[in-house]
Amino acid sequence: MNDLEQEYSLTRRVVAEQEKPRSNFRLFRLGIVAAFVVLAFQLAQLQLVQGEYYRGVADQNRFRLIETDALRGIIYDRGGRILTRNVPAFNVSITPADLPDGDFDLERVLQTLARLLDLPLATLIENKSLDVMGRLPADLDRDVARPQRKLGLRDLVKTGYSDPFTPILIKTNVPRDIAFFLEEKHLDFPGVRVGLAPVREYTTGALFSHILGYVGHIPRELFDEYKEVGYAPDDPVGLTGLEYAFERDLRGKKGTRYVSVDVAGREVARLGEEDPTLGNNLILTLDSEFQDAVENILTRAMRGVRAKQGVAIALDPRNGEILALVSLPSYDNNLFATGISMDDYTALAQDPAHPLVNLAITGQYPPGSTFKLIPATAALQEKTINPDTRISTPGIILIPNKYFPDDRALDQPFYDWYKPGFGALNIREGLLFSSDVFFYKLAGGYTDFDTGLGVEKLAQYARWFGLGETTGIDLSGEAKGLVPDSDWKRKTIGDIWTTGDTYNMAIGQGYVLATPLQVAQYTEVVANGGKLWKPQLALAVTDANGALVRKIDPELIREIPVDASALAIVREGMRLAATRGTAERVNLADVNVAAKTGTAEYYGPKINGHLPTHAWFTAFAPYENPQIVVTVFVAGGGEGSEVAGPVAADILRAYFRLPSTAPLAALPQPIAPPVTVRQPPTRGVAPHKYAGQWLSEVPGGELPGIFGTVVDANGRGVNGVHVVADKCDGNQIFREITDGNGAFNFKGVYWKDSARWCVRTVAPADSDALAIQVQPYRRYIVQFVPTQ
Amino acid sequence: MWLLGATLALALIGLAMIYSATACITNEPLDFSSPTIRQFLYLIAGVVAMFLFALVDFRILGPMRWLIWLFVIASLATVFAIGQITHGAQRWIDFGVFLFQPSELSKLLLVIVLAKYMADHAAQMSRWRYLAISFGFIAIPLALVYLQPDLGTTIVLAATWGVMALAAGIKARDVLMIAALLVVLAPLAWINLRPYQQERVLSFLDPGRDPLGTGYNVQQARIAIGSGGLWGSGYCSGTQSQLRFLRIRQTDFIFSVIGEELGFVGSLFVLGLIAFVLWRLVRAAMLARNAFGKLIAVGVAAGMFVQSVINLAMNMGLMPVTGIPLPFVSYGGSSLISLFAAQGVVQSILLRHGGLELEGASREYE
Repeated sequence: MNDLEQEYSLTRRVVAEQEKPRSNFRLFRLGIVAAFVVLAFQLAQLQLVQGEYYRGVADQNRFRLIETDALRGIIYDRGGRILTRNVPAFNVSITPADLPDGDFDLERVLQTLARLLDLPLATLIENKSLDVMGRLPADLDRDVARPQRKLGLRDLVKTGYSDPFTPILIKTNVPRDIAFFLEEKHLDFPGVRVGLAPVREYTTGALFSHILGYVGHIPRELFDEYKEVGYAPDDPVGLTGLEYAFERDLRGKKGTRYVSVDVAGREVARLGEEDPTLGNNLILTLDSEFQDAVENILTRAMRGVRAKQGVAIALDPRNGEILALVSLPSYDNNLFATGISMDDYTALAQDPAHPLVNLAITGQYPPGSTFKLIPATAALQEKTINPDTRISTPGIILIPNKYFPDDRALDQPFYDWYKPGFGALNIREGLLFSSDVFFYKLAGGYTDFDTGLGVEKLAQYARWFGLGETTGIDLSGEAKGLVPDSDWKRKTIGDIWTTGDTYNMAIGQGYVLATPLQVAQYTEVVANGGKLWKPQLALAVTDANGALVRKIDPELIREIPVDASALAIVREGMRLAATRGTAERVNLADVNVAAKTGTAEYYGPKINGHLPTHAWFTAFAPYENPQIVVTVFVAGGGEGSEVAGPVAADILRAYFRLPSTAPLAALPQPIAPPVTVRQPPTRGVAPHKYAGQWLSEVPGGELPGIFGTVVDANGRGVNGVHVVADKCDGNQIFREITDGNGAFNFKGVYWKDSARWCVRTVAPADSDALAIQVQPYRRYIVQFVPTQ
Repeated sequence: MWLLGATLALALIGLAMIYSATACITNEPLDFSSPTIRQFLYLIAGVVAMFLFALVDFRILGPMRWLIWLFVIASLATVFAIGQITHGAQRWIDFGVFLFQPSELSKLLLVIVLAKYMADHAAQMSRWRYLAISFGFIAIPLALVYLQPDLGTTIVLAATWGVMALAAGIKARDVLMIAALLVVLAPLAWINLRPYQQERVLSFLDPGRDPLGTGYNVQQARIAIGSGGLWGSGYCSGTQSQLRFLRIRQTDFIFSVIGEELGFVGSLFVLGLIAFVLWRLVRAAMLARNAFGKLIAVGVAAGMFVQSVINLAMNMGLMPVTGIPLPFVSYGGSSLISLFAAQGVVQSILLRHGGLELEGASREYE
């Protein structure tokens, strides 16, 4: 009761003070009314006055015109075998708008993603100044796309803030298990989406990578150009090779979908649709089996001489179609198609053998003796010689020093590769033996042959034959090669052109440079009678159903203004070289081959005191109606005939479907067995102490050799006996002195000059001459024994 | 009964809209982790709590004020020690099945503490000293809540104190002085705001500033409400809500879902319901014969008023985003249960000293 009273009195007090609070209550009520009136007014403003506008904005939010990617066209070889195709691969993208709200949760998601997908969180500093190309053409940089600077995930999310609903692709080619994991835990990764998109697979990998190139992301610096023609940032685009050259055909046309999407861009409903047009397919002139065979042959040969770089090209001289094109070393273009890692890229880019570079079109080398086809043609056409003109070819010729023309001691010597010289040769024989002196005189003139072709004419023909300009093949990064002339030398070197320069140029040395493809090209011109075709890699473009869209016709670059007869003589020379001369290793029994070797010196570390050499070999077959030109180049490969020749032979075997054991044509048999010729005894000379015997005949080098020993009665070798060799006319050509084993050897005798060679001892005791009928690739073993 | 009916109506509308905002298009079966079911359970718990508080004589709460006050301090401090961190703030204590948010309950409890003090010193409340002491009761909780950081609840608590002081009899002149003081202190407060809070204010002033940040929510909420038009796009058919352009839609932005799907008509109805509840609460305060009860009712009304207005204004783009729920409607157990408990206390006040026409039985008891 007390409590109640107390309570009551308290209440009374409060009630007594009620007047002031009552007005304050009114204030509160007024506040409530005012607030709700304002709110209701704003509600009306938003929903009734601006309702239409916001309806539109909401529609903009959810209706989206979405582009659907077209599948890229497939590339087939000429036999219809698939070289590249599209395979599905997982990718992961993030939609900034749907990522977790709080910084903390966002960071958690990004960190987990970075770990799972091996992506950087923070942006990496760009890896600049890769000296990728060394001294190869500078414009190549553009083609070998460097990996893009990798934006870190955090920055990547920020870039998406301007367009928060568009998913940002953060990783392609995600491993299956990680993709499944992300998909399974998608509730833990809001805003992260696993997608399925095709990536390019190159079924043949390194075999065709120099030709096909690869597909990748648009280089950042080129994005604006691509954007203009309708590319989106994540669109795949051909970056090199045919993928680049035929981008327009292969790409197809995107489709569009008018859809309703949710906040993450997930399609909720489809309102309209236009299907994408699949990319067109490409059919190549190359044959993958043949290409494979060529690569194997070249690889094996290169391994034999430990060469690092090599090229083999096969083309059809009737239309310029490339049948095989191998540049070694190569690389796997699948690495690029799936996004190459910086490590892999650095390894490839810094490999001294330049696997990323297609040497067939970007490597520029002195063409060596293969170049002789050009001065030969030019001289015949320009009537510098007629087919039967003979030019003497001593092993060495001297030209006056240009500063001291009168001082013969300062004369500059020019050597033939065969020091004894070949005698007087006509043009066919000049090609047959690849005589350097013959071509020195032919191009630059000499005291006994003052009507040289001259450098300007030579340069003009070289240009007609396709040197000094790109061939226009559908691959980028092509080098032009170099055709020097006096004007060029004055401008670039600041010196006058000398006869010596012409000499060097005539044998494909000095300043002249050509790519392996250009060598194949001028061989083609000789083979087909004067037509320079644009090298062709693609035969046709078809649509996705295989229907022909466009046939790619052969393109004639020019018809060389040369009489057919002149080229016929050059072909004869090449045929002779293949049957009897320097290029014999390609002389197949079943197909008539014509060929030219080349051994080009280049400035590198000397081997046994000589400059190192590149091996060249260029051939066509069949001789009568050429169907194929084969050009082989092995960098640092030594002698063209030894290294590159057998490669060409094997490639021809593969092309004509001959077994790899298909024999070379049989060598001409000896006309008569070796005979001993008794020479009339010279006056006042002691009786002959030795008698020569023919022992055996074994296979040997290109030039026949005569090897032998001088022995005493007990069969022991006699030291210090002088042995000479001549053409059985008594004019000594070679002289040897036996060593401690009594051995002597005439390593190479010139069989064309004379088929009969005589060997005899002259001191301290002489002998009758032993005459030997010589044949190339034979080595004759003889012995001199005492007559008693 | 009107009050009870209106609050239940709000809570049921909230439940329906939570379903729409979370479960309509997913077609996932409802289970105990789905917000709809959870909110339904909270609703039942809230109603039970309401009846419990209604049955208990509210006056026993008066002597317990120190206990209550210490509980508030302790629970808020606990949040700091072991609280759950979500969205960058530390607001929850994890009870396994339920994340308890002490700041929600604090709103009611501090009202009780303040009401007791102000009622005890009703005559002196117009004097600065007593006003300052009354503020002292909420100073520490205010600081703790602000540091969570939870700016919305801080504002609600401070405003509640203001309204209660007003009701307790401070002069209008003093109110104006406090307002003037706030204006002076505003720049100081700005400096002390967290970067994200500053960002919210800025993005409110210019929503295009940061489309993905807080401005995004403001923008999308405005689009959602606006696109509702007169009749709305229909239950479960709002593109903004269903396609999830609208975020945190079952809690802070539930009103935007209502605006979009139920249109002007539906939103106005909800607005009206809230206003009605407030009206009845103020009425309850005026009817109360006991200063303690009167001030509790005022405090409850003030808290709900400030919270509702901030939330609604935020949804309609009239105020920066502060992250507080719409009373009775938004998803959230701590909030809903505390609100119903507060209703229970008000009912208790009406039952015991009400003289309300519908509380016939209690009048007989008197």
